[in-house]
Amino acid sequence: MASEKKPALGSVMVIGGCGFLGHHVVRVLLRDYNCSVSVIDLRCTRNRRPESDGVSYHEADITDAAKLESIFSQTKPDVVIHTASPPAQSNDSVSHALFKKVNVDGTAAVVKACQKTGVKALVYTSSASVMSDNRSDLINADERWPTVRGSQQSEYYSETKAAAEELVLAANRAPEAPKLLTCSIRPSGIMGEGDTMVLYHLINILHQGRSGVQVGNNDNLFDFTYVENVAHGHLLAARALLLTAASKTIPLDTERVDGEAFLITNDSPVYFWDFARAVWAAAGSPHGTEHVRVLPRSVGMVLGYCSEWFFWAIGKPPTFNRQRIVYSCMTRYYDISKAKKRLGYQPLVSLEDGIKRSVKWTLEQQESAKKA
Amino acid sequence: MGAARNALYYLVHPNQLRSIIQWKVWHEPVHRRNTEDETETEAACFQYLDLTSRSFSAVIKELNPELLMPICLFYLVLRGLDTIEDDMTIDIKEKEPLLRNFSVHMEQDGWTFDKNGPNEKDRELLVHFDSVIVELKKVKKPYYEIIKDITIKMGNGMADYAINAEHNINGINTIDEYELYCHYVAGLVGEGLTRLFVASELANPQLLVRTDLTESMGQMLQKINIIRDVHEDWVDKRRFWPKEIWSQYVNNWDDLFAIENREKALQCSSHMVLNALKHADECLFYMAGIRDQSVFNFVAIPQSMAIATLELVFRNPAIFERNIKITKGDACQLMIESTQNLRVVCDVFRKYIKRIHKKNDPRDPNYLAISTQCGKIEQFIESIFPTQDPKKIEAAAKPAEPTMDTGEAFMLVASVVATLALIGLLMVGLAWFMGARMDKFFNNMDNFLGGSAPKVTPSLIPVPGRDEL
Repeated sequence: MASEKKPALGSVMVIGGCGFLGHHVVRVLLRDYNCSVSVIDLRCTRNRRPESDGVSYHEADITDAAKLESIFSQTKPDVVIHTASPPAQSNDSVSHALFKKVNVDGTAAVVKACQKTGVKALVYTSSASVMSDNRSDLINADERWPTVRGSQQSEYYSETKAAAEELVLAANRAPEAPKLLTCSIRPSGIMGEGDTMVLYHLINILHQGRSGVQVGNNDNLFDFTYVENVAHGHLLAARALLLTAASKTIPLDTERVDGEAFLITNDSPVYFWDFARAVWAAAGSPHGTEHVRVLPRSVGMVLGYCSEWFFWAIGKPPTFNRQRIVYSCMTRYYDISKAKKRLGYQPLVSLEDGIKRSVKWTLEQQESAKKA
Repeated sequence: MGAARNALYYLVHPNQLRSIIQWKVWHEPVHRRNTEDETETEAACFQYLDLTSRSFSAVIKELNPELLMPICLFYLVLRGLDTIEDDMTIDIKEKEPLLRNFSVHMEQDGWTFDKNGPNEKDRELLVHFDSVIVELKKVKKPYYEIIKDITIKMGNGMADYAINAEHNINGINTIDEYELYCHYVAGLVGEGLTRLFVASELANPQLLVRTDLTESMGQMLQKINIIRDVHEDWVDKRRFWPKEIWSQYVNNWDDLFAIENREKALQCSSHMVLNALKHADECLFYMAGIRDQSVFNFVAIPQSMAIATLELVFRNPAIFERNIKITKGDACQLMIESTQNLRVVCDVFRKYIKRIHKKNDPRDPNYLAISTQCGKIEQFIESIFPTQDPKKIEAAAKPAEPTMDTGEAFMLVASVVATLALIGLLMVGLAWFMGARMDKFFNNMDNFLGGSAPKVTPSLIPVPGRDEL
């Protein structure tokens, strides 16, 4: 984009801008857009840009509405990108309380601060998992699919993401602040530099020599998305909201971005175990598939069930359960035509390059952790 | 293969024999050529069609009567051109004008050509080309113009290649050159056929706008032939694989066939397969534009054969040693499945795509690209025949109201199940007796029951699936 004039986004606030996705949003903002950038995060020590980039960092808890408002009044953002969310790793009552507090209450506070300080555009990071009940397949699903809520939703994390998304979309052209336009981005399976979950787990499996087991028949397609593409999707949405705000007419229903949710993926659904093997190959695995033993899903489910009882008996949370089997056998991929059409979205980085970059980063992290 | 060996093969592979019998016995052509009031020259054309084409003559002869003769003649004209181009005994000084002026010769009453070498297998066609010319004059004007236009384009394309010294010495260098070559030998034929289909109102006129779809049909067929025939062509000192691809794996073309380079050669062939696979979804899209059953069969059969061949050659070291082909039983099975509708053809594509993805090797540099390409084709099939309906999912999410007490419901369900089971059993038995295909069902059953359960330690599954931030 160096030769062309970079599109303008005015003053941009990235909430969670030191987090995994957030710091990539900051990076892409500085690279591809003409704007001034501020960041709010709980701690602003990690993933910080060098001083020369001119990003202003503010430490705040997003559930602290008064603090948020005062930072907003000071930085006067035109655009707010809200990426803050706790890691979705655990599923106990303590983390449930945290999910509720940060995702729902925190987002409500962000919406309110936007409404009170004249923000023009709010883009919220939701999750493609809001459409999944974590049991049924999602086959080429698009935004017409319903969100799974309440008792149907087995993951409380996804429930809180859906509730927060609802808050954000309801704030679009709301009476409290008719000029605030909002939309929501639903990424699927984010991975990249800074990811301590998907890639980290997979590479551990390789290093522990456990890459030779495959659960299920590996015909299930899955969407993984390189983090820079997710960041790119957010910023295209922000740009579209600003353009809508500047125009006098309300866009047609088939073109509008405000008040809408958008699925974002790499547009390359891949067979679940093929993804794992591509990661392992990038991490230096010498194996083909000749050493792989296939564990049928049904057998995996029985073993998962036994494991759950075993850990219940010894009074510990199970490290292996049926849900893991379900995930690795589930088809879950999306049709992102809406984002392509209305946002002009196309992934910037291919899945292959995304995997290579992410694996390289993960290996370097593990290497430096060993040295330390 | 001796008869005894054949018998033994089919004894071990009853499904193959079954497909052959099923096709030969049960296949009912959409249209049957009326041979009664056929003129002498008409009969001669069909005779040359049989002579020059094994795979195409059967499907051409079953075409809608409106297009039967035009497409038969189109084929013979192009075959005539090809016979001149292929013949290395004709001097280039004579060959070039012949190719460029073929569209003129095909309008000259009584024109024939007997200077082909004695070993040219289709020389008889040109020796008696006057019969073809007689029939060409009877073709409806719009169809004739299409045939003539493509003949001009192809004749010039062939002449350009024939006089291109660089091409003749070094073969094809870049992927662009490779695709341009495929355009001349197959893409143009596709263009002509699509125009004929649309002119006869047997296909959606949109196909003339989306010319990329037609091009993909030709590219896919030609590329797969080129991959499959690599050994035969190498023996004949011809090379169609582009240097841009093979030079990533070996230094010299001949090295590809050396036994010690087999793994590199396989990776190179994967690259070629990946390059061909990119056309598959557009081919399916193209077939969705066909409105006539006989035309559908005509375009679908070669495509199904092609995707099956692609699966056969994928990561198959035999392609560097000999010429391989899909079995006769598989071919018959594919013809049965290609003469129904788009949905069944999509199932064929999906079946072979899954097999390709199963054979994929993580050590191959093309591994992930092939995997995502297979995923893309599956996704495309979903987009035309969706499995899920968001409205139904939404409706199912709402809890249904109970309307009957459980005892009553149980009896009702039990009686329905029993009745259905009885009828089902009768129908399955009857269907089998009449020659229905149950191999698929049993294959599924086999897959379901197959596979041993290795011992596992807990926590060996990665946690994916959530969109963590």
